[in-house]
Amino acid sequence: MTDLKDIVEQIDQLEPIPPIAAQILALTEDPDSSLAEISDLILNDPALTANLLKTCNSAFFSFPRQVESVRDAISLMGLDQIVEIVLFNGLSAGFKKEMVGYGLGERELWRHAVSSAHVAGILADRFGASQNKHLIYTAALVKDIGKLILGRFVAFSYEQINILVQSQGQSFNDAEHEIIGMNHEELGALVGKKWNFSDKMIYIIRHHHLSDESARQDLETALVYLADIICMMMGICTGADGLSYRFYGDVLNQMNMSEHDLQGIIAEAGKNQQQVEMLLNL
Amino acid sequence: MEQNQMKANAVSMMTAVNFSEMKISRNPAETLVAFSIGSGIGVTVFDPVSSVGGLFNFMLPDSTQATGVNPEKVPLMFADTGVPFFVQALFEQGIQLDRMKVVIAGGAHIMDQTGLFNIGEKNYGALKNGLANYDVTIHHEDIGGTNSRKLSLEIGSGSSCIKIFGQAEVKV
Repeated sequence: MTDLKDIVEQIDQLEPIPPIAAQILALTEDPDSSLAEISDLILNDPALTANLLKTCNSAFFSFPRQVESVRDAISLMGLDQIVEIVLFNGLSAGFKKEMVGYGLGERELWRHAVSSAHVAGILADRFGASQNKHLIYTAALVKDIGKLILGRFVAFSYEQINILVQSQGQSFNDAEHEIIGMNHEELGALVGKKWNFSDKMIYIIRHHHLSDESARQDLETALVYLADIICMMMGICTGADGLSYRFYGDVLNQMNMSEHDLQGIIAEAGKNQQQVEMLLNL
Repeated sequence: MEQNQMKANAVSMMTAVNFSEMKISRNPAETLVAFSIGSGIGVTVFDPVSSVGGLFNFMLPDSTQATGVNPEKVPLMFADTGVPFFVQALFEQGIQLDRMKVVIAGGAHIMDQTGLFNIGEKNYGALKNGLANYDVTIHHEDIGGTNSRKLSLEIGSGSSCIKIFGQAEVKV
């Protein structure tokens, strides 16, 4: 077994999320926060303002006129989209790296993250509480942050992990825990703690594969889980771990999600994938 | 996917076939690839006489189950609408049914995803039904389990390759 200290020490080597992204994250989770608060935050960061205006004026959005101010940008695009862009700017560098242990090439974990966030947004609209949409979207985006560190340890132990998965039917995250001593959920929660994520966000990261029975009762965690497995089923940048995670049909039943609903969501997400691909290049 | 696609384009004329897409080629230097197949299924077809091949990559079994999507716009998303669409396109390129070599891969499921929610299994059933309408024989299949797969077809040789991470590539 790897010395867990070696793994945990790596958290400090991760390029941290910019403080502004963390602050905006916190504001969007707070149902009482206002548009003005968020635009003030962005305005106080010249680099972010510049970046935001550049993105808004890019060919992707092709607005009929030049976007000249943060307020302008927010009124044209809506707060959701602005938050998305800020988060993307803050998070994408780490997620775009190649992850050998998980069999993911450059940008593949990022594609998976953005796609699952998109699916989580669809699920939140339909099955969640709407005030938590940002939380669910963002949690789906960052849930695999532990993989950024654990990848190299998985690479080292892949054979052993794979034996537990293929011949004993263990899920990939359980096998990670057994062989390495820690899985990407546990490590991701430690990263979230270090980066001052909210307790709820840390909880979702820690339990997004729902191994823990009580987590299956938590709506937001369950929706992030569903978004993840839907992307696996769609084959969106599934790597070495493939679809080797446990399915909990009861979670779908609790939400009154039928097989018909599941197929409908996959179809909708598939239809939107082209749009998601464009987001990846922002 | 995209990165793979760019790398591939640079060195060896690989063409990515994403889900809900098909590609048909008669270029012997080209390889068609579905990079990551989950519960969906990739289907390769090759006709050694006309040297035409195609790859079709669908996601769901039944277009009537999908709300919010117009199957006429994305027929290749589904087995029931995609198979006739694909077969028709192959006919137009001169492929003949009795010479077709067919390989299928995918249909995976999440662990314990049994019964109603096992879309991989439904995809497999729907694909077999769809192909049976044309009396097509499947020459090789690699279906089910919890791995994602890469499926490719070399137009030059007519060989299909199935690759699961950590396992040897299977060439048929």
